[in-house]
Amino acid sequence: MYKKYLTILLLIIIALVPIFLPSDESRFDEWSRSLLCPVCQGETLYDSPSEYADDMRIILQEQIANGLNDDEIYEFWVTRYGEKIITNPIERNNELVLIPLFLILVFVLMFVRNLYVKK
Amino acid sequence: MIYNLGILLSWLSFALLTILFFTKNTYKTNLLVRINLFLQVALFCLLEIGLFLNDFSVSYIANYSAESTPPLYKFASLWGSLDGSILLWNLCLSIFMYIYLKYYKINDSNLDMRIFSFITIFFVGYTVFSSSPFAGCVELATIGCEKSTLIPFQNTLKSNLGRGPNPLLQNHPLMAIHPPMLYIGYVGMTLPFVAATSRLFKKDESNDWIEVAEKTTYIPWLFLTTGITLGAAWSYEVLGWGGYWAWDPVENVSFIPWLLATAFLHSSKVQKTNNTLLNWNYILVGLMFLSTIFGTFITRSGVLISVHAFSNGNIGTYLLVGLTLFSLLFIFIGSRNIDYFTNSKKITNWFGKSGFFILNNIILFSSALVIFIGTIFPLFYETLYDRQITIGRAYYDILVGPMLLLLLLLMIFSVKLTVKNIDINSWFKLNSNLLNLSLVIAIFMLINLNNTYFLVVTVATSLILILLTMKNMFIKFRMSSTNKTYWTGQIAHLGIAVFALGIVLNVTQSYSTEEEINSFQEFEFNNTTYFVYDSIQENKPEKTVIKLPISNEVKTKYTSLNIFRNSSQQAISSPAVFRSAINDIYITVKFIDEDSYKLIVRNNYGIFIMWVGLFISSISFIPRIKKRV
Repeated sequence: MYKKYLTILLLIIIALVPIFLPSDESRFDEWSRSLLCPVCQGETLYDSPSEYADDMRIILQEQIANGLNDDEIYEFWVTRYGEKIITNPIERNNELVLIPLFLILVFVLMFVRNLYVKK
Repeated sequence: MIYNLGILLSWLSFALLTILFFTKNTYKTNLLVRINLFLQVALFCLLEIGLFLNDFSVSYIANYSAESTPPLYKFASLWGSLDGSILLWNLCLSIFMYIYLKYYKINDSNLDMRIFSFITIFFVGYTVFSSSPFAGCVELATIGCEKSTLIPFQNTLKSNLGRGPNPLLQNHPLMAIHPPMLYIGYVGMTLPFVAATSRLFKKDESNDWIEVAEKTTYIPWLFLTTGITLGAAWSYEVLGWGGYWAWDPVENVSFIPWLLATAFLHSSKVQKTNNTLLNWNYILVGLMFLSTIFGTFITRSGVLISVHAFSNGNIGTYLLVGLTLFSLLFIFIGSRNIDYFTNSKKITNWFGKSGFFILNNIILFSSALVIFIGTIFPLFYETLYDRQITIGRAYYDILVGPMLLLLLLLMIFSVKLTVKNIDINSWFKLNSNLLNLSLVIAIFMLINLNNTYFLVVTVATSLILILLTMKNMFIKFRMSSTNKTYWTGQIAHLGIAVFALGIVLNVTQSYSTEEEINSFQEFEFNNTTYFVYDSIQENKPEKTVIKLPISNEVKTKYTSLNIFRNSSQQAISSPAVFRSAINDIYITVKFIDEDSYKLIVRNNYGIFIMWVGLFISSISFIPRIKKRV
């Protein structure tokens, strides 16, 4: 019986781990992962070794050092390069997640109905 | 010579396949399939000979090979661009047609060979009517060939120099293995499609089709797994961006058939034991095949841009016609069997084998759906709203990540799955020690890491799965009676658990910095000192390589910049990788001056663990071999 309590205890500890030892991803990392380098076939600023991406990284670093908020950074890049530069457009376009979720729901309902209904 | 012969042989192959389509005679069928295979092998060899003889009167050779190209990459140039890769596609199809004839043919009907030859005619037809790697050059470009002809015995022009393959394709030997593996996997999906459609065409209400479809799916599944793995390894070793998977359209469309095939490998078992999911299995077999054609269409027609994009001609329309024809055939045969499909039994034990396999199918199919939507979303937005958007990692992280995690959780119960519903209490009693042990290991691992809930749950789940599978293997190994497909599954699951552990570490723990540095200086990274020497320039026939030696106290590695001749594309930088079991230090260089450099230094976690996992999954076929002998 004590084994059960041990498991529960361990599960509680493991659930607390992210709270006490959280991730320290910086805003710069986050943004450089979500901006596309426009000249390098689908690589983000974080990934791309090109000079173009270098220059963009420097600008991004300054923006974050100057304390621009997310909207201002977004505005800056999108007005210059268009919406295409943002690799995670889902934050500002919820439908990009909602449409697939809706389709999954439709699929699951059809699938389960197929198994239950006697024709 | 090569141009004329190549085109004539393609015509011959096309003609023979057409005869094969109409023939009813078994002897003729056997003969034609073999002759066609011989012709396709001959065409393959012919183009290879042309590549090695530098016959630049052939447009494809002038545009995608050069005299200075090293032999290995000359060999690989055959599939280095669209037309050549269709030739490889045809060869694979012909090999599979022969294998099908030999092992899986229906005894009393010719229908399956008819469907198979119909599909083959379609692809061979592309090289006859649309565009062929043997087309002769009739108008020269500055380097290479501008215009070509498909009609034999024309006056051809020979360019002096070849353009050479795409630089990315001649930087690592993996490029010679990765594409053929994927092709075999892709083309192999034809086998279950032909098996299912031809057997159901007769309205033969037996479950024979599911047996054959299942057996024939495993082969392409295995090649697809290996092919995708090698592609990821190539990307990591060559592209210098420190990653291996970018959710690029071409990667996505190789992953979709894999997910569907994996779903089918599970759901076919439900049909075999329970006689249920009949219609669903038929749909899966169809989608596996159609998704490979759709994938080729979407990435080769130029509608989407990606790292892998080839030149585009009229292949888009051609493939779209094929996609429509094959879909209609599939729907037609399906509709003939509505009565048979409605005989499907109900599921009774939702927490037993069938229930879990059904959940597995729901998750795998939903993942495929999400990836499919993500791939075509940009296209959709551009046509409908005139907005250009990019669907990047965040989309897949949010939607696919949790689903794959759920799948991992399901695998824990699949270690010992019974037809009856699972009893949680007795399961827990049996495995509590192991459960606690894995949780303790997980906690110790996590203490040193940057934690998110996704990481914590994945690490714990995969550790439980790894230990549980290994314990079970240890116990069952002594009992020889266990069936062989069970072992295949268990090995594949163990591999995936190890892989999941590696990838989650990689995704959440890796970081990078930049160092500006001069020759003969050192820098510190991750508690190790690295010393940078002076750069070395090497001139090779096909490229100039600038190498920068970097050493930690133990080893010296080179990071280099490859500048290819005759190529308009940018230089490629190859990384120096200091490998270890837990993390790779991955360094790429940019040359600023004669002796000053900018280094991008990455600490990539979990890479080795990932490769180990994928390797274990790819050797899951071993128990099946024993079965045959």
